[in-house]
Amino acid sequence: MIWEVFRQEKPGDYHTHCGNVHAPDREMAKQFAVVQHGRRKPTESLWVVPQEEVGEVDADEVAFGGTTDKSYRWAMAYTSSTEHAKEVIASQQEQEQAEADRQRGDD
Amino acid sequence: MAATEIELTPDQRLALETELRTLADDEFVIAERYTEWQVHAPTLESDLALANIAQDELGHARLWYDLLEELGYDETDLLWERDPDTFRHATLSELPFPEGEWADAIVRSYLFDVAEGLRLEALEDSAYPAIADRVGKIQREEGYHTEHAENWLERLATDDEGGDHLQAAVDRLFPHALALFVPAEPVPFGAETVSGDGAGSQYTDADALPDAATVEETIVSEGYRSDSLATLGERWLDRVVPTLESHGLRTPVPADGEITDELVPDACGRNGNHTDDWDTLYADFTHTYRELGREDATMIMDRPE
Repeated sequence: MIWEVFRQEKPGDYHTHCGNVHAPDREMAKQFAVVQHGRRKPTESLWVVPQEEVGEVDADEVAFGGTTDKSYRWAMAYTSSTEHAKEVIASQQEQEQAEADRQRGDD
Repeated sequence: MAATEIELTPDQRLALETELRTLADDEFVIAERYTEWQVHAPTLESDLALANIAQDELGHARLWYDLLEELGYDETDLLWERDPDTFRHATLSELPFPEGEWADAIVRSYLFDVAEGLRLEALEDSAYPAIADRVGKIQREEGYHTEHAENWLERLATDDEGGDHLQAAVDRLFPHALALFVPAEPVPFGAETVSGDGAGSQYTDADALPDAATVEETIVSEGYRSDSLATLGERWLDRVVPTLESHGLRTPVPADGEITDELVPDACGRNGNHTDDWDTLYADFTHTYRELGREDATMIMDRPE
């Protein structure tokens, strides 16, 4: 049985997926996860989740974000500078990042 | 407080060294054996778990050998150029694994880790401060080792085939685990270091060297360890025998619980008598040192705190 492992680095951080372990039950899964995923990197907490319990929805099933142009979601049309519009800059960076991630995903 | 600042009488020093040698040698040698499972364990996960445990045990051995170094030895005296007859680990640590017998690794680890846990408890308030200081660090890793062994034991015992493998391992290992509670013979005059200046050398006449029972008494009366090995052995039996029985496993302990000398093998390690497999293992782990013609050990890490 495969258990997906999520690692939290510091208190308050999200648990981020970091790999999986083979184990017959939850107790062994936790123990193996400690060695396999919590040994070398700073670790505050680990979650182990039976792989079959993870619900998945993928891009074949749904159009993530819709199919029409929704660029108004991003603050593109404003001229701004860091002094007075940090949020706008951040939003632009976020969009550029999202675009870059999307393109990587297409490869 | 540095250990070297404490003035020790020859009897005290011999007792202290004897205790440290058994602690260090047990850990070092069992780690050497565990390492043999690397890339051979049943699954990637179990491989990593045992390799991790082996690394822990090597770290513990280092903490104990380091205290012997504070008493004037160096690493070559304690490992690489040491007369193999002067090692004092119980033979449980040195026995080879029958090929592919994972149940042996689990039973061995279980018997060893429970014993080690009890021994560490008895060292928590050691009158030798450097020992007491290091116990906590080791205990925090040992809890995981015992849990790992118990988890596997429980699961292997759930079917007949697993049970048969476990029983064979108990039959083979239990007498050698009893050796963990045999008082160690102090290392005789001149044999313990290359230069022959260890604790034994303070006894001008080798015949005057105290015997194992006397040294064991000193270890307890000086408060280096708070309980005798006999007491620890009883506690160990109280814990491992019912657990093994609850998994349908038989032990060689008679119904009245009385452990007689006949149950302990002649080659028990603590008395300096080892199995033939020890010579092979010793030759293996010192092979590279000899092959490279080394005369001292390279330190790649600072000395432990």
